[in-house]
Amino acid sequence: MIPDVIVIGTGLAGLSAAVRLGDAGARVLVLAKGVGGTHLGAGTIDVLGYAGPSSEAEDGGRLNRVQRPLAALADLPPGHPYGQVGAEGVAAAVDWFKERIASGPLAPYAYEGGLEDNLLLPTAVGAVRPSAVVPETMAAGDVRNGGRVCVVGFRALKDFHAPLLADNLARAPEGVEARGVELDLAPGGEPDVSSLGFARGFDEAAFRAEVAAQVGGRLRVDERVAFPATLGVADPHGTWSELERQLGRPVFEIPTLPPSVPGIRLFNSLRHALRRGGGEIILGAAVTGADRDGDRVTALRTRVGLRETLHRAPWIVLATGGFASGGVALDSRWNARETALGLPLARLPEPGGERFRPNYFDEHPLSRAGVAVDGDLRPVGANGDRLLDNVLVAGATLAGAVPWKEKSGDGLSLATGFKAAELIIQESDLGQRAAQATAEA
Amino acid sequence: MSGQTTDVLVIGGGATGAGVAWDAALRGFDVVLVDRADLAEGTSGRFHGLLHSGGRYVVKDPVAADECVAENAILRRVIPDCIEDTGGLFVVTPEDDPAYGDQFLEGCRRAALPAEEIPVSEALRMEPRLNPGIRRAFTVPDASIDAWKTVWSLARGAAAHGARILTYHRVLDLHREGDAVTGARVRNELSGEEFDIEAGFTLNASGAWAAQIVRMAGIEGIGVIPGKGIMIAMNHRLVNTVINRCTMPADGDILVPIRTVSVIGTTDIRAADPDEIPVTQDEVDQMLDDGERLVPGFREARALRVWAGVRPLWQDEKSGPAAADTRDVSRTHAVVDHIQRDGVERLLTMSGGKLTTLRLMAQDIVDAMCRQMGDERRCRTTEESPPGNEDGELYSIGSRLRRREKTLRDEQLVCECELIGRTRLEETIRRRGTTNLDDIRRSLRLGMGPCQGGFCIYRATGILHGVGRLSGAEASASLRHFLQERWKGMWPILYGDQLREARLDDWVFQGLLDLEHLPAGADGAPAQAEPDVQSEEPARA
Amino acid sequence: MAAMREEHDVLGDLMRGSLDHCVKCTICETVCPVSNVTPLFPGPKYVGPQAERFRTPGELSPDASLDYCSGCGKCTQVCPQGVHIAEINTQARARLKERDGFSLRDRVMARPPLSGRLGTPVAPLANRVLANRPVRRLAERLVGLHHEAPVPRFAGRTFQGWAKRHRSPEGVRRVAYFHGCGANWYEPDVGEMTVALLERAGCHVDIPRGQACCGLPLQSNGQFDAARRYVRAMAAALAPAARSGVDIVGTSTSCTLMLKREAREILGLMDDPDLRVVSEHVYDICEYLVALHDRGELRLDFRPLPLTVTYHAPCQQQGHGIGKPALELMALVPELRVIDMDATCCGVAGTYGLKREKYDIAMKVGANLFGQITAERPDLAVCDSETCRWQIERATGVSTVHPLEILHRAAGPA
Repeated sequence: MIPDVIVIGTGLAGLSAAVRLGDAGARVLVLAKGVGGTHLGAGTIDVLGYAGPSSEAEDGGRLNRVQRPLAALADLPPGHPYGQVGAEGVAAAVDWFKERIASGPLAPYAYEGGLEDNLLLPTAVGAVRPSAVVPETMAAGDVRNGGRVCVVGFRALKDFHAPLLADNLARAPEGVEARGVELDLAPGGEPDVSSLGFARGFDEAAFRAEVAAQVGGRLRVDERVAFPATLGVADPHGTWSELERQLGRPVFEIPTLPPSVPGIRLFNSLRHALRRGGGEIILGAAVTGADRDGDRVTALRTRVGLRETLHRAPWIVLATGGFASGGVALDSRWNARETALGLPLARLPEPGGERFRPNYFDEHPLSRAGVAVDGDLRPVGANGDRLLDNVLVAGATLAGAVPWKEKSGDGLSLATGFKAAELIIQESDLGQRAAQATAEA
Repeated sequence: MSGQTTDVLVIGGGATGAGVAWDAALRGFDVVLVDRADLAEGTSGRFHGLLHSGGRYVVKDPVAADECVAENAILRRVIPDCIEDTGGLFVVTPEDDPAYGDQFLEGCRRAALPAEEIPVSEALRMEPRLNPGIRRAFTVPDASIDAWKTVWSLARGAAAHGARILTYHRVLDLHREGDAVTGARVRNELSGEEFDIEAGFTLNASGAWAAQIVRMAGIEGIGVIPGKGIMIAMNHRLVNTVINRCTMPADGDILVPIRTVSVIGTTDIRAADPDEIPVTQDEVDQMLDDGERLVPGFREARALRVWAGVRPLWQDEKSGPAAADTRDVSRTHAVVDHIQRDGVERLLTMSGGKLTTLRLMAQDIVDAMCRQMGDERRCRTTEESPPGNEDGELYSIGSRLRRREKTLRDEQLVCECELIGRTRLEETIRRRGTTNLDDIRRSLRLGMGPCQGGFCIYRATGILHGVGRLSGAEASASLRHFLQERWKGMWPILYGDQLREARLDDWVFQGLLDLEHLPAGADGAPAQAEPDVQSEEPARA
Repeated sequence: MAAMREEHDVLGDLMRGSLDHCVKCTICETVCPVSNVTPLFPGPKYVGPQAERFRTPGELSPDASLDYCSGCGKCTQVCPQGVHIAEINTQARARLKERDGFSLRDRVMARPPLSGRLGTPVAPLANRVLANRPVRRLAERLVGLHHEAPVPRFAGRTFQGWAKRHRSPEGVRRVAYFHGCGANWYEPDVGEMTVALLERAGCHVDIPRGQACCGLPLQSNGQFDAARRYVRAMAAALAPAARSGVDIVGTSTSCTLMLKREAREILGLMDDPDLRVVSEHVYDICEYLVALHDRGELRLDFRPLPLTVTYHAPCQQQGHGIGKPALELMALVPELRVIDMDATCCGVAGTYGLKREKYDIAMKVGANLFGQITAERPDLAVCDSETCRWQIERATGVSTVHPLEILHRAAGPA
């Protein structure tokens, strides 16, 4: 198959682009070194949680916390990648995303929320994180109006400590009455089970019934119940709603350390949509180079053993992530590079200058490094000139944001991945092909 | 706690102090040891991990070489579980003078150090990653030694014989009555409480801080040159043998496989203050280049952590001018007799020395004390092993993996990189009575693997919160403190794979947990706890 | 076809050194088919990059649990950081076996030509014996071959025998056929169909003599010395073709992967010149045919084949990193309905699922796939690896064939 588009990367940015393109009838090939992104995050779509200088303010940082993300997007500094998408672009991407998941293989599992108001969700350590669009299984965790929460953990799930979480949550200014309980119950009775292992357990009715039995009698009036984000991987909607019925009160899950079950659900949904649309993913296929002809990339190279394979397509979406995934790398001589196509990087610290500051929670000089793009997501050079015509860049590879601090990573990935797809659809003949196909049908 | 009385007050809880406490306790003295921080938090915890064969000193410092030869053999006998018999190689790199090898061999022969020249091809077969351009190679009985295990083993041994080990107790002042030092005033850093310790004798084993301590007794003219050296731990054992550059002692000329990592070091720069020892970019670059010289491709390997330690290099106005390069100052140790030098009684200070000779240093200072007291009890540290070394076997790197294999399905694994199970962690938290996760790190190697605690520290915090009955604020403060300490050791060497790890951790700690926005509470004020070193068996492997 | 470039082997051990890239993200553990069904296997991250830091060449291997790794390679495929997890595990297993020694069962299982040579002359008898339940139960007790294990049936003739008598027409291009043990002893008709199809596509097909075994089962079972001997001999047999610029195609997708990269990487045979040139020229058969098709050179008219078939891409086929060319090829067949299965692994992993202590694990691993296939009620199941085919067929009762068979059938009589 000669694809219409090659997407490099299987994170949220890459998959969003690939699925959107597939929806429009494109033949999409996704090349990636492996799987990532989604499996490591919360599984929520955080659009913008904090803006302005980061702080460890005594009020818990409420000063720069964003309540209304759509409005706050307009106040971001120039050079922030959200600027290349715009508020409408983000909104369109979010709407599309919600619809896609709701009509996906996990239906009626769906995402709730929007860009008007952030929810405030508890984190696994008991802090409170602003999030815009979240799985229905998490929505009841919104603590903006306080309330009472019983956090249920499992001794065998070492990546979730309910008593610690509850202690901290109870200190939140939002006025939550929280307490934690720990159950000595695990799928298979093993002492060390991962989140995914628990999720598979929760997919089984027998396990759910046991959990409900152990928890039910201990709950207080008006208490909602929090579990670790393990409420099923095959049928989260069924799992979660049954628990709510059994316990007779709102239930929600709290994301915790990887592997992220909500993230895996998200990945599975998008992958399913991609396959339905005729797209293909090849893993173990790191892009090691590209052939260029003027302002076009004509082929991407991957390698197995001694032989390279050339992959050609008229359009390419680069969504390889940032430093965490190796999309951008720094060597031992402090030289940074974008690893798939060798694009120049922007927002690097001065050569010989500091890359990091001594205080861990500060924003560091290297934090915003990445590939700079123009309004059409094409990579640009130092002078702002477009470098490549048929390559669009999306996700954490982009320069100008500090997504883990701003809580903007998912929003950026989704919005830029979606926009990359939209741009390709407009600029290529895909749009016409799709319209033609509809007309002929 | 009101005042305490003891026979011997040992100031300093590093290898020297722990060794002294063990020696004195074995002789039947009542001992109190104080350290302002955790045991081995100073130089001992930041050293290279090398149990010297003595080869490094045979040419330039024969006395030091002789000491190393003897003590190397003794320590293998008495604290085998702290020592891994890695063996060592001295290699002449392309940049070194091959003729030095002859001097080296001659020096080894004179010191009765069993060194042997082997063909380069044999060295490369032993260690395939060595620079193929090396010109000569010699085997020596180097080994790697785990400083924390050593120090804790000695301290527990002392405690088993009645000693009181008081960590987080800072000496504020020494008491003088006429010409004698009669004890010290200390402050419990955790509770803030101050009290006096009356001591029959005070032994100053505070290493790089020794000058600060003696000044409290009104003694002047003593200086300790803090010889700063940085070391970098690489993620896995690039070599399984200690590799020394066969040349006059220089920077970056040793690569030590210690536990699951290999450590390259070190530099030698005079510092002004032993507590102000920043890691500089130049030093890092230099260490990486030095590593590359020994193991080509070193720069592509993963660096985990960098730290600086200070060698306590003695400078006494009353005995000759100081040298410029601290390496030229003799590495041997000396007991400073304050009666002779200053007319002050009941105080002795240990100067200089290295971890390899810790037992001998302890013997010398306790012997000197006994002479001054007119006491005839003799040293027994060549005969007895401190706790933890009962099976008499040298440490092997596979031991944790082997042990974990037995509890694979029974126990939760908390620190996966270093294979630490939940039971072990809970026991250690209880036994140490500490809320400082960094202390736990030193005891167990928690968070000392590739992820540097990225994945296990949340787990450990939750467990600490439960076992230690901490408040959410206290537990969170502990977690943040750990992350900050960790960052100190990471950011100067953050590139390549470790940068990926760090960025992933940022996504987890900030993006997912939003840790930085936890409401501040009892920040930096860990709960009251009495460190309890006396109880139970010491931690194994 | 494409450029050749040696990966710069910094630090001298490509596989083990890659453990440095592990950031402990646990993604490999989420896909490991074995650790997801049994707690006996601590998982790829544990056994690979993590435990390897505790193993030294001088010490005997301390952890036996690593032997539960099936070697499917899924972990390596999904690792976002490029850790060669499965390869590290395989190398560690070899050191473990040095400690424990090799059982008779593992020696025999790992040498298909041995059982092939013994069984072929008496195939009907051998097949009856191997199908006999009491015999199988005894074999399980004595030797550790599970009584339900999907052992294949001897064909009673060899593909090599057929090849000797076969004359290949001139053709517009040359290709060499690496037939593998599966085709030679058990499925010579697959080999014959492959040759026929290649010839129909205009190829002159060489079948180099002296092909014994690529050594993959020996490698998987930790018998590295023997594996090296086998693969060197195989490389010597195929190298002349490769040196004269002829591409080599194989129908056993796991064996072609062995020659393409695994032997060099895992057995440390980077410098073997024969293996190197073979490696540069080896293709999975579907990979090769799709490449011809992309160049417009696959002139085969496929007749309609009104069947419903399921397709499962074996783990090792995925290891080629070429996507699923079998699907692309089958899409050329009119009226053929191909349902791509969405399951990780069939469980057999070569010889793994045949073993008494691993059979149950293998069946649990494959349960998802078997369920999907059965639910579709296909006419045929399709799979590129012979051991996987035998596993699937036995577990589902659905006749399971190589994609070549579908194409051959659709290509019609010559």
